[in-house]
Amino acid sequence: MNPVLPGEIAIKSESDIVAARRTVRDAAMQVGFGMTDVTRIVTAASELARNVFKYAGEGAMTWRQLEEPGRMGIELRFIDHGPGIADVQLALQEGYSTGAGLGLGLPGAKRLMDELDIQTASGQGTTITLKKWRMI
Amino acid sequence: MNNESISVIKVRDILMVTMPSDPDDSTISSLQNKVLTAMERTDAKGVILDISTVETLDSFFARTVSETAQMVALMGGRTIVAGMRPAVAVTATQIGLTLKNIETSLNVERALDAATAERPRDPR
Repeated sequence: MNPVLPGEIAIKSESDIVAARRTVRDAAMQVGFGMTDVTRIVTAASELARNVFKYAGEGAMTWRQLEEPGRMGIELRFIDHGPGIADVQLALQEGYSTGAGLGLGLPGAKRLMDELDIQTASGQGTTITLKKWRMI
Repeated sequence: MNNESISVIKVRDILMVTMPSDPDDSTISSLQNKVLTAMERTDAKGVILDISTVETLDSFFARTVSETAQMVALMGGRTIVAGMRPAVAVTATQIGLTLKNIETSLNVERALDAATAERPRDPR
């Protein structure tokens, strides 16, 4: 199987959220994830891509394949220069939302993936890195 | 760019609403209006929402489905969500999407049986 080439797409319109989902689906399948994991990864990507568009207006998503002894994975990174997240702990709480959403986006993405890292500060933008692994 | 749209047809007294596999947010948002307008125009008793081709049900999509079902209920109809894929069900449960108060069916055929049965089930 050919390794997934790393890449980046801009998120600045609603249709880019669809494009992000499709890109992530293709990449996750190429890394060899099963259908349930592919669905988890795509759903997490959909939540975060929408957050970028909704809260920052625009940003980008990068993806790359991860390889370590005994396991392979995928890394997705969502980068924006929006308002940032004032209280990360609060934002990770289920049911908390500053928008009109269910407050399931960020905590949902965390549950669906193996690792989630947030770099943010008020006014400094947000970078969220997600990883999902599979044993080989 | 996105030419996939929601289809709404009336079968007996029921509105059969089919979601495309990967709808964008505007398409998802148009669900409420399409369904409610069709409810009024066709005098339908209920809605079957076929999501059998849907591969990603995120929180925005799920909230729209929930709200649409609530609105249909206010208009005196019932909504049955049909055909959720196994991987979608696993994912939805994991992130806490409950689709509260919404009836579900394994597929459209079973949903039609349930919807056209003599009496609707008691609401939960």
